[in-house]
Amino acid sequence: MTHIVPLNKEAHKTLKVDPRASAAYGDNQRFVHVVVSEFPHLLVHYPIFFSKDANTGEFHCGVMLGFDEGENLFLEQWRDLEFYRPLGLQRVPFYATGADVAIDMEHPRVGVEDGKALFTEHGEPTRYLQSIIFAFQDLSTGLGVTQYFIARLLELKLIEPVELEAEFDDGVRRHCEGLYSINQETLNTLPDAVVAELFRRGYLRLIDYMIASLRQFPVLARKKNARILQGAEGLAGTRAPAVG
Amino acid sequence: MVEAVRSIVIVGGGTAGWLTAGIIAARHQARIKAGRFSVTLVESPDIKIIGVGEGTWPTMRSSLEKIGVSETALFRECDAAFKQGGQFARWTTGAEDDSYYHPLMLPQGFSQVNLVPHWLREGQGRPGAGRSFCDFVTPQGRLCEDGLAPKTITHAEYKGTANYAYHLDAGKFAPFLAKHCVQKLGVRHVLADVTEIKQRESGDIESVLTRQAGPLAGDLFVDCSGFSALLIGKQLGVGFKSCTDVLFCDTALALQVPFETPDAPMASHTIATAQDAGWIWDICLPTRRGIGYVYSSRHTTEEAARETLSRYIGPAHKNMTARKIPISAGHRQTFWKNNCVAVGLASGFFEPLESSAIVLVELSAKLIAEQMPANREVMDLVARRFNDVTTYRYGRILDFLKLHYVLTKRTDTAFWRDNVDPATIPDRLRDVLTLWKYQSPWFFDELDRLEEVFPAASYQYVLYGMGFRTEVEPEETIDTEMVAARAVRDNERITGEMRTRLPKNRELLNKIHQYGLQPV
Repeated sequence: MTHIVPLNKEAHKTLKVDPRASAAYGDNQRFVHVVVSEFPHLLVHYPIFFSKDANTGEFHCGVMLGFDEGENLFLEQWRDLEFYRPLGLQRVPFYATGADVAIDMEHPRVGVEDGKALFTEHGEPTRYLQSIIFAFQDLSTGLGVTQYFIARLLELKLIEPVELEAEFDDGVRRHCEGLYSINQETLNTLPDAVVAELFRRGYLRLIDYMIASLRQFPVLARKKNARILQGAEGLAGTRAPAVG
Repeated sequence: MVEAVRSIVIVGGGTAGWLTAGIIAARHQARIKAGRFSVTLVESPDIKIIGVGEGTWPTMRSSLEKIGVSETALFRECDAAFKQGGQFARWTTGAEDDSYYHPLMLPQGFSQVNLVPHWLREGQGRPGAGRSFCDFVTPQGRLCEDGLAPKTITHAEYKGTANYAYHLDAGKFAPFLAKHCVQKLGVRHVLADVTEIKQRESGDIESVLTRQAGPLAGDLFVDCSGFSALLIGKQLGVGFKSCTDVLFCDTALALQVPFETPDAPMASHTIATAQDAGWIWDICLPTRRGIGYVYSSRHTTEEAARETLSRYIGPAHKNMTARKIPISAGHRQTFWKNNCVAVGLASGFFEPLESSAIVLVELSAKLIAEQMPANREVMDLVARRFNDVTTYRYGRILDFLKLHYVLTKRTDTAFWRDNVDPATIPDRLRDVLTLWKYQSPWFFDELDRLEEVFPAASYQYVLYGMGFRTEVEPEETIDTEMVAARAVRDNERITGEMRTRLPKNRELLNKIHQYGLQPV
């Protein structure tokens, strides 16, 4: 159930919203859409990929947060509110309606006692609400830029499917399907004029960010494996060997 | 003197002409760009193309991908739809519920195990314990029954989970290819009427003279002029080998029937329903159905045939009048003579059953493109090969089409009775049918060419779909029992997965029109 109303400094003067990450708030997602302007923040934590919208087949950018359905391996780290979370999650439970911000009053984040206020006693947006407004500004310009970026890369045949597999100590092999990344072979053979064009548009940097972010994939896999071993330890009551 | 082959002239601009132009031009793109090779297509500004060839074979996917056209554009501009094979209704007994599928997917585990004996042995006298051969070995019959598409919107162009071909509007397909050939592949398009053909003393064609564009000289001429066979037949005098003694259908009545509502469900396969003196095709494009009765005029009258067609269509038929198209089963005695090679209807045609016409165009064009003679000196060697292969292909297609008729148990009309007359059955077909009483077609069969039009799997689907029985020794299946059981299990699992994941045929086509398929 959703009940979306425009944000109003009178009506929502005392309203509090919990900005913390939690599975109970729907943050338990293994893949989250992002926009290209987030790439510099994302690449140090998450592998960035292209994937297709299940309903339209259209490409978008996203970060991988876990391996299994509903698994987000970053929830604990996200307790630190300074740790970068994709804007698409940061903005919940708010919506943008044109230049205005709206809020889903039915969302479990809303009305939480120890949450954050949206307005100061003088009716000014709090730092929290300001961060939401900035997030929407970034998202609305970012979405368009992301679409242009993807369209140009498709034209240049720079997007290719990637086959990623990870094997964990629970003996189950995870095959990551539906992920796409940069075709580096094609990239390396682009004519100089095209390389210059990509550089001028700022796309070349984004491409490099995406390639660099792939290093986060094995990090994510180790995170997952550590969790599996922790679970096993809990069950068996013995110490599991450290994982590298 | 070694005369290099550098200039190809294609006469005729229907599906055959433009497919051939595209396949040759794409294969020799580097030479065309360097200005050392050319493909010219000349077509009359006012000849209407026959344009009822609306069913393709899955080879079309790789052909189009190689030519470099976008599949999304094909769906949008040619009114194309998915085809996952054929359903043959009332061919065996003529009963209301008599039907089987010839799907496009190979039986599960086909390269490891022949499932035919296992299917025949299972269930003591009730093969497959009641499951049809098709359902025993592949999901595709059930996908067709459910009206599902062979892929999802997230599959890239030309990719899919189930194998597929297309139903398309042939009248839109030729101009669609033409645009791509001219704009992207450097094919020269000449709109002019061919008035005369000039031969050299050697018999080679030197040029075709046109009313509007003067003479067009070439090193190799491709005759895609349709039934008129302007070059290969009229000019070079190559004879026609009639096959009407084997395949009786000689007339088609074709029309287009709109859907009652724009969102009416669409079958994703061709439906071929046997009638008193032939059969009716029924194929779904997004905007309309293409329906036609192909019959033997020796076995029925045009009036009765029109009546049959009208009864099949029902009330939607109203005031529509079907277009009559004469066909004549047969092919040229030779396909490549001197420096002229025939492709498409100019080379031959049997009947629309199993959509063999366009696939033969693709295979012929590919062979010409791949084996493009470097010079006139080696052309005769290539021509000999081409003739051998094409003669073989026509022979196998003839056998395969006839197979659908000889396996019938219908005796209700003279058409069906005459079709099982041994005198009408080609020797080679008769021989394999004798052989297949004791062993089922699989690998190591006669069908061993690199690019067989109808592979052994197709024979399996038709044979065991129509109730043909091969004797199987009890011990024969023991060695492969495990691998066969796994294949059957895999098929069940895959069928379940596909049935949950795949969208309805029309739903996916709508999405392709709205969002397009991605190139990767």
